[in-house]
Amino acid sequence: MSYLSISHVTKQFGETVVVDDFNLDIEKGEFVSFLGPSGCGKTTTLRMVAGFEIPTSGKIMLNNADITDKAPNQRNVGMIFQSYALFPNMTVAQNIGFGLRVRKESEEVIKKRVEEMISLINLEKHINKYPYQLSGGQQQRVSLARALAFRPQVLLLDEPLSALDAKIRVSLRAEIRSIQKSLGITAIFVTHDQEEALSISDRIVVMNVGVMEQVGTPFEIYNFPKTQFVANFVGSLNTAIAEVTDPAQGLLSLDGVQLVSAEKMDNLRKGDKVRIAIRPERLSFASEQKKANVLDCTIENITFLGSVVRIQVKIGNTKFNMDTFNNPFLELPHIGSVDQVTCSKEAVLTLGSA
Amino acid sequence: MTTSQSSAPITMKPSGTRRRLGSSLIFLVTSLYFLIPLGATFYWSLRGQKDVLGFEAYRKLFADTNFLPSFSESIINAVATIALSLLIVVPTAYWVTLRLPKLRPVVEFITLLPFVIPAIVLVFGIIRLYSRPPLLLTATYDSSRILLICVYVALSFPYMFRSVDNGLRAIDVNTLTEAAQSLGADWSTILFKVIFPNLRAALLSGALLTFAIVIGELTIALYMAQHTLGPYMANLTRSKVYEPSAMAIVAFAITWAAMGIIDFVGRGSSRYLQTTDTD
Repeated sequence: MSYLSISHVTKQFGETVVVDDFNLDIEKGEFVSFLGPSGCGKTTTLRMVAGFEIPTSGKIMLNNADITDKAPNQRNVGMIFQSYALFPNMTVAQNIGFGLRVRKESEEVIKKRVEEMISLINLEKHINKYPYQLSGGQQQRVSLARALAFRPQVLLLDEPLSALDAKIRVSLRAEIRSIQKSLGITAIFVTHDQEEALSISDRIVVMNVGVMEQVGTPFEIYNFPKTQFVANFVGSLNTAIAEVTDPAQGLLSLDGVQLVSAEKMDNLRKGDKVRIAIRPERLSFASEQKKANVLDCTIENITFLGSVVRIQVKIGNTKFNMDTFNNPFLELPHIGSVDQVTCSKEAVLTLGSA
Repeated sequence: MTTSQSSAPITMKPSGTRRRLGSSLIFLVTSLYFLIPLGATFYWSLRGQKDVLGFEAYRKLFADTNFLPSFSESIINAVATIALSLLIVVPTAYWVTLRLPKLRPVVEFITLLPFVIPAIVLVFGIIRLYSRPPLLLTATYDSSRILLICVYVALSFPYMFRSVDNGLRAIDVNTLTEAAQSLGADWSTILFKVIFPNLRAALLSGALLTFAIVIGELTIALYMAQHTLGPYMANLTRSKVYEPSAMAIVAFAITWAAMGIIDFVGRGSSRYLQTTDTD
């Protein structure tokens, strides 16, 4: 049996179903992210694992023990909050030692563990400071140390990086992942930032309006989205409606332009309308290398995004974005010029009937 | 021939010097408004001995055998009121903030009732209610004193609730409570180790305001035949000339000392409630 098991969990507030039949098994030491837009139920699910919300139905098992109705202070689950939630009246050392003090550990054990944690987060010089004397990033690291100090069975992170600026977010998420791996602790990370989820997780649960849309590794979620929501939410995506012309061969027609897809179309018939999706980075100019699909296009717009140049092309009557790595020595096409773009048949995803 | 000359509207902005001068003038007038009566009272209190300015009135005041008993009785009443009020208000305000935010207007209304009901109405209502069985509390001096403290607790609600509520709003009560719970803390640990220390200034502010009210309260204590400082001061005003002024200065000094303590402690606790940058 898995280490943490969330079985058929539903949460209702009055008539509103916030989480609907959530099922997930998490292995020991795994890092799982709940990814979704605001109001999708990801934080509510996390709070049910923490014990701050009680499920309307369903069961939560942790290490073979039923914790569904246990009070938060009896669960041995550490939590990190978006707003850090450090105790303002306590120093860094007192904050980190709080969980141990509550558990009536000896002063010797507390001192040793606090020192361990302080060195883990590299804040040795700040041990006697109050939270207000630390930056946001430092406060969140203290919060991490505090949540880990009493050796919880599961670490819950509720959008811990949302209040930080971009650079600190990137460095701190790498630090969180590295600490989680070194301690081998099971972690659930809630975020609405797809890049964060993709970069940090062993598995991602994509949620929408209280329902799990897809569970998979970051690679699976990004490259093989199973629903239109996942395809749209994770990464940027070109979508269009195409007509099936030969389901056996995977042939489609987009505004009269023929496309071939590697996707199975067993349940589709000739003439059916289907929604297709192509990632911007899967398209390239045919002048570089021709793939299964070679499509005539007109250059509509060019946007410089730093490391990437986004070129908008028009294929038939549909506009597609194409991403190419920035190269200062590469000559960009002119807006309005006619060109050819190409992509493999694996790049053409079908997201069901339109 | 006429010529017209267009010109931009002229806006009169007071210069920095004029603004400073205006502020200083307001400060001076306000200070005089408070200091002249205070100075006059102090001056009057020093005239206890004929043709000599001195502290004779203060000496007589402290030498009066009724002063210290009534003063100490008021202090004990005030301390008891504060303790009882804190025990009622803090958990109530905390729970309302944490679990029942929709009830806040109701609780606020209830705590404001002492402002709406005049003290004279309140005291006659209380005497009528508690002078007959089964709630006979006015039979003895001590039981009346307990009743008086309970009334003072009710009188302290507007000040105590507002102070505590402001303190609770200054900290993220919900998240701090959840953080403490996730670390294994029970309710008493959360209240005494996390919430109370962060409400230090608010609790002290409410406590000292309550202290000030109880120390000087006259109407209710008088009608309940209690020998506290309020009735003592009223009696003093009727029978002496200079001692009431000395008493007023002493009361004023106590109030200022209380304000000074609030300010000092408030600075200490607001220090760690400062916010930080996100970087």
